[in-house]
Amino acid sequence: MSIEHANATESDEPSGANESPEAIESDAATDASDLDAEDLVLGYPTAPEPVVDGESIAAEPGAVTALVGPNGSGKSTLLKGLANQIDPDGGSVLLDGRDVHSMDTKALAKRLGLLSQESTSPDSITVEDLVYHGRYPHRGFFERTTSEDARAVERAIDLAGCGHLRDREVGSLSGGQKQLAWIAMILAQDTDVLLLDEPTTFLDLHHQMEVMEIIETLRDESDVTVVVVLHDIEQAARLADRVVALKDGEVRARGPPEAVVTEELLSGVFRVDAEVVDTDSGPRVTPIRARHEE
Amino acid sequence: MTGERPATDGGSVTSDEGRRVGSGSSARRPAEGDRLGWLFEPRLLTVAAASLLLVVLAGLVQVSFGAYSMTVGQAWRAVLDPAVLLDPRWSLNFLLGEELMRAVTGFQGELPELARETLVVWNIRLPRVLVAVVVGANLAVSGAIFQAVTRNELASPFILGVSSGAGLMILLTLVVFGGLSAFLPLIAALGGSVAFLIVYAIAWKNGTSPVRLVLAGVIVGTVFNSLQTGLFFFADDIGVVQSAIQWTTGSLTGADWEQVRMALPWTLAAMGLALAGSRQLNLLLLGEQTAKSLGMSIEKVRFALSGVAVLAAAASIAVAGIVSFVGLIVPHVVRNLVGSDYKRVIVGCLFVGPALMVGADVGARLGMSVLTGADAQIPVGIVTGLVGGPYFLYLMRRQQNVGDL
Repeated sequence: MSIEHANATESDEPSGANESPEAIESDAATDASDLDAEDLVLGYPTAPEPVVDGESIAAEPGAVTALVGPNGSGKSTLLKGLANQIDPDGGSVLLDGRDVHSMDTKALAKRLGLLSQESTSPDSITVEDLVYHGRYPHRGFFERTTSEDARAVERAIDLAGCGHLRDREVGSLSGGQKQLAWIAMILAQDTDVLLLDEPTTFLDLHHQMEVMEIIETLRDESDVTVVVVLHDIEQAARLADRVVALKDGEVRARGPPEAVVTEELLSGVFRVDAEVVDTDSGPRVTPIRARHEE
Repeated sequence: MTGERPATDGGSVTSDEGRRVGSGSSARRPAEGDRLGWLFEPRLLTVAAASLLLVVLAGLVQVSFGAYSMTVGQAWRAVLDPAVLLDPRWSLNFLLGEELMRAVTGFQGELPELARETLVVWNIRLPRVLVAVVVGANLAVSGAIFQAVTRNELASPFILGVSSGAGLMILLTLVVFGGLSAFLPLIAALGGSVAFLIVYAIAWKNGTSPVRLVLAGVIVGTVFNSLQTGLFFFADDIGVVQSAIQWTTGSLTGADWEQVRMALPWTLAAMGLALAGSRQLNLLLLGEQTAKSLGMSIEKVRFALSGVAVLAAAASIAVAGIVSFVGLIVPHVVRNLVGSDYKRVIVGCLFVGPALMVGADVGARLGMSVLTGADAQIPVGIVTGLVGGPYFLYLMRRQQNVGDL
């Protein structure tokens, strides 16, 4: 999606090997954006200790990176840090080599979108109007919507598959439908990087699959760089090109799903005994019991 | 959003993304042109027309009745008297004041005589109606903005300390610095604005939030209100006390063209800015996080919009004192009628606010003489409170989730 690219050579660095068809595809898309966090220290003013203390993480350009970890492991904090929603106490986040903290807020919002865990809106707003808000960073203070805005909104509504909801009021939607509307809004933002905070949590199976399919479509048919926080480790393994596992604000493992999602990881990070079986559609995780030691 | 939607061809997007792109869907919203399409929405038009009718009817009652009574027909003719409307010297004399009129028109002689009815209507009764219109619009828009900024449906123009600051300065001026009472309107408006700045400074800590702002407003309000009440003890004259009560409950008694001239420029500026900021207000309703991730500089926008709301509130305080409830109820009513889109909410407020204010002022000016036969007026703020309380009761009974925005 982004055309100008200051340091395209940097984002060309081979990320993994060319063993899978996906890797070849994402290599062809050289203008996918790079999101790199270096020695990031993130905390909240009220907490004495930083939640994330000096971690580096790189989102593979044009691919899907999943952040997994137990509750309170700092996944959401890390994601907010990547989106410049929290001022880092140390380190930096680079979007194609530029520090996001020094970027103009609107310029950043044109290139990086964040779907928060909890989104609120007035009940009486229509889905279409909500999606149009995604165009905010592309519009000047007094500018009206342009045909480009209209096209982006159409594309987003199509991609999110909520065309049939377009004129419904958001307050009348189910949780899953609401999530699709919000995803459409963030897609209308038309960014190179998408950060999604637990987009499938609290959704029924159908809507979980809908959301997963949207992310898969993004990966297969565009060069959007996606970082997604997921609770369901099996889902993460199925969806992501790379998985990053966090515990207590530390990266405990990273790499392709089959290398990260292992019985050792599940016992060490998630504190469960589980059986992991490799299948054609990725690792299958069967939790057996919670570990109570220590 | 109603009406025809020119089909911007969404199907022709030669996109390599989107699984369902090209399914022949067409953009539903006019892209360019049709800029004011949202204005001609049936609900909004109905609200505007009904409010306008109410203002005209209440206004006619106001100009007809009083110490010098005339029939409605006479009053109507006096309002539309061509001797005023078609004579720029007279109309500018009212609107701009005599000095400015002479400067603008270069006219130095005596103004032509007017009929007695016309003089009564134009000199005394009509300006009061106009001041009510201005105050109503200001308070309604100010309240609407504060409700979005604090994301609280129970916010009013006075939630961030404006009324308590103004009230304290009013009491100080009347009781302690009597010599300054000629500048009372200005001092009251300034006091309100300064209180708002103090509230903002208290709430600020690496940025602010709706809850912090409201809490700081409560803190400042409590302190200032105590000081204000304390000052009443030092008033030795019943006249001073009555005057203070008039100012602190809001009154249009004696409102004149001077008040119209004082408030109008600020009102126009505030209303224009509020309309221009309506898209930012809409985005604020999506919550701080979403607004931020869409690239809004949230602190700047919040402060600027609050500033506009304070400007509107201060303009109304300067001419009418602290009129309660209008800024609380009107945005509510409008939102229930036209939906939550702030472009329409602001425009709706511009009509419903004046309707409520002009209507309430009929009660304030003529109510006592109808009820008791006494020739006395009560502050309009008492009437708006009497109307506002029961309305909220009704709302609370009817709606499940009052307060959420």
